[in-house]
Amino acid sequence: MRALSRLRHIPGIHSVVLLVFLSVLLLSGLIAASLNAQFAERRDPADGGSLLLRGKGGKTELPAVRLGTDIKAVVSGNVARVTVTQAFRNTGKDWMEASYLYPLPDNGAVDSLKMVVGDRIFIGKIKPREEARQIYQKALDEGRQAGLVEQARPNMFRSNVANVGPGQTVLIAIEFQAPVREIGGEYALRLPLVVGARYVPPHTLQGRRGLIDMKGLNDAVEVGSEVIDPALADGLNPVSISVDLTPGYAPQGIVSSYHAIDVAKGKGDGRIVTLRDGVVPADRDFELRWRAPAQEPSVGLFHQRHDGMDYVMATITPPAASATRSAPARDMIFVIDNSGSMSGESIEAAKASLLYALDTLRPGDRFNIIRFDDTMTELFDRAVAADAPGIATAKRFTQRLEADGGTEMLPALKAALVDPDADDAARVRQVVFLTDGDLSNESEMMAEIFAHRGRSRVFMVGIGSAPNTYLMNAMAQAGRGTYTNIGTSGEVSTKMHDLLDRLSAPVAQNLKVAVDGVAVDFAPQDLPDLYAGEPLVLLGRTQRLSGTMTISGTLDSKPWSRALSLSGAVESNAVAKLWARRRIDEIEADRWRSTIADDEADKRVRDIGLQFHIVTSQTSLIAEDDTPARPAGARLTREELPLLLPAGWDFDRLFGNAANAAGRPADASEGEQADALDLPQTAALFEQPLRNGGLLMLAGIAGLLLARRRARERRA
Amino acid sequence: MSLAIPLAGRRGSGARRSLVPHLFAALALIGAVQAAGAAWIPAKAMLAQVLLERAFDASRASGRPEKPWPWADMAPLARIAVPRLGERAIVLSGASGEAMAFGPTRLATDPASGITVLAAHRDTHFAFIRRLRLGDLVTRETIDGHRTTYRVEGFATLRWDRFAVPRSGHGEWLALTTCYPFDGGTRSPLRRIVWARRVG
Repeated sequence: MRALSRLRHIPGIHSVVLLVFLSVLLLSGLIAASLNAQFAERRDPADGGSLLLRGKGGKTELPAVRLGTDIKAVVSGNVARVTVTQAFRNTGKDWMEASYLYPLPDNGAVDSLKMVVGDRIFIGKIKPREEARQIYQKALDEGRQAGLVEQARPNMFRSNVANVGPGQTVLIAIEFQAPVREIGGEYALRLPLVVGARYVPPHTLQGRRGLIDMKGLNDAVEVGSEVIDPALADGLNPVSISVDLTPGYAPQGIVSSYHAIDVAKGKGDGRIVTLRDGVVPADRDFELRWRAPAQEPSVGLFHQRHDGMDYVMATITPPAASATRSAPARDMIFVIDNSGSMSGESIEAAKASLLYALDTLRPGDRFNIIRFDDTMTELFDRAVAADAPGIATAKRFTQRLEADGGTEMLPALKAALVDPDADDAARVRQVVFLTDGDLSNESEMMAEIFAHRGRSRVFMVGIGSAPNTYLMNAMAQAGRGTYTNIGTSGEVSTKMHDLLDRLSAPVAQNLKVAVDGVAVDFAPQDLPDLYAGEPLVLLGRTQRLSGTMTISGTLDSKPWSRALSLSGAVESNAVAKLWARRRIDEIEADRWRSTIADDEADKRVRDIGLQFHIVTSQTSLIAEDDTPARPAGARLTREELPLLLPAGWDFDRLFGNAANAAGRPADASEGEQADALDLPQTAALFEQPLRNGGLLMLAGIAGLLLARRRARERRA
Repeated sequence: MSLAIPLAGRRGSGARRSLVPHLFAALALIGAVQAAGAAWIPAKAMLAQVLLERAFDASRASGRPEKPWPWADMAPLARIAVPRLGERAIVLSGASGEAMAFGPTRLATDPASGITVLAAHRDTHFAFIRRLRLGDLVTRETIDGHRTTYRVEGFATLRWDRFAVPRSGHGEWLALTTCYPFDGGTRSPLRRIVWARRVG
């Protein structure tokens, strides 16, 4: 019995001691292993050529795969249905995989993908992002042709094409719909054509304990792409555009902001717009503007029945504000971006816009200017009176600005939202941003605005030929303001005049919407303030649409309401998807407000993407061929198609031969020779082994002391 | 564990009892060896700099590179200092990993470009890089008594294989390079570069 109990106990004791021993011993090994695993998963940031990692310069060789894009847009009612066809032609001798990053309107819903190889067409299916990627990867590995369309940002997408044979052309056609923006009685269809190189703030890559943050890194990789040296760019990435303009009335005053166009008569009242030059380089956004005849009604109501639910889209234009309304005194905080991506035409347009705005300040207003690149300066300690000396100082400050360095917008935004008189109801506080928005940490901006906006309104002026319109729109929405885009210096005075006029005061506030009889799920749920000339576009979903919708609020500080009979809605098959797109925006906004967990937000977005068959951050479109095309054993080369530099950008400034714009040897001239130099690994890495060794030693000593004390106690 | 050990004492035989302290002693020993190995790295870095300072002074006196210790395969080239931070270090010839254990090393570049590129470990000799600010002065004194002053004009973060220096015609620059991020126990593909332009 005694021997038995001994046998039972002693292995037990030993296993406990051994367990402690082994676990401590393994601790350092485990930590190291987990870190190594993390690094093994890392994707190479320089593959994306993002601004943070610039150095040796942009791409200086022509890609083997050439890309041509054709865009056909049909505008009916207030919605544009757009087909983008990308032709990937392999001019090389190898089998290729090609990847191209391109922008789309930030409120568009991509719902269709077709891949055309020779005379065969493959229809894309919507899948959860990871699953789509796996299907694509499998096809890639097995030599089958496949196309994958993923969302990198709500306004930025990436097409991947696998196994394009030598001399072969593969077409990728995607379709999306986007609402047409109405502003000041004018309609605008904006088709962005190029993604500006994005600045990746270093802190977004830095995780806890100094490790590289994998999520941040992958996120940054998504928005990065190489830019071709302009000397080689001639004829690369051509785009042809045609717009079939049938809004239901005869469009008038059709103008294109940045391209020469031809206008021909189309069906009925419609017009057909084409580029005068046939094809243009994809280096600036395309914007088409037109007007409706004067008798055009101010309410547009569209309806769609989809999947057992009724969807409705209503456009409500408030009556024009009375000309005599008194504008309250303002605190205006101007925030101007003088980072490297603004160099060239953009900084001139931004400076001209700011100078224009300074001239419109009235006595009684207060103002301040904040400029930022990767550093930040506030002109005054706090907002000062807009008197002659103050404005003169501000103008001198503005004129001296030069574009250089990174785009660290967050500190500037934080500073701009600091409001010493938060309870002053007599004044309005307006923050006006002048930027191209070429940064990768959009979500941090939104989170900051939601957290600290207080009484401030945020207005965005998107500068340059290809501003980040998603950031403009989302920041303005979060900040309850509005936005405009200024493409060239020539537009400064008209656009700034319109914007400053609009933001002098919202026309309609405290808006509410109600439908008698039925419950309607509206997006947005919180209605924004309305500014002059900007209609409210409401999207709603309900079981069975009927009855009257009433919108009420205060207009010029007087109660105002308007009723609409929902039975008069016009059929449109775009409404459900636009509602879904808007709902996703709301989920994202909840994510930035931290009222919803990340996983839950992802899940909801994924569900909507799958239900409405649209590309989202969580769902992608994938098309694949079932039969192998690439012979077994033939080599496959991956190529990231370079982007054109947005028009007006300064290539050397961004990708100067020497180094980063913030700190390169000065005066780097064009086409100059530079020596590449690989930098050695420079981390002695002694701290962690030191810590682990120390801990191990302490654990051993502690165990020894404990054992000795027990032994003494036993003897005593 | 506190339950297990008294049981071992009461029921176990003498030989088995002594096994427990032995295990802990082994644990402490392994830890000590590991910690000592790790602690040797900064110790070596510091010690080498003391010897290198001497060798540098000797080289200054003799006008030719003097080895810091008889079996050394590198020699001091220059002394760099950041007066504001009170930091200084002896720069070595030869950019091998071994040389970098002792001090910053000069990476081979074309001398015609006027640009000197130095590299050192982020957790020893170039730990001060994270504290550098725009406008800081960096002095360099070579063994032939030549003194130059540089002013920090910019920083860059880029991948180890995306660094380049122009061949000529940009004046004299000093580039201090080290690993980035500055903290953490892993190797990273990113490098931090400090660009300083000659001002005197």
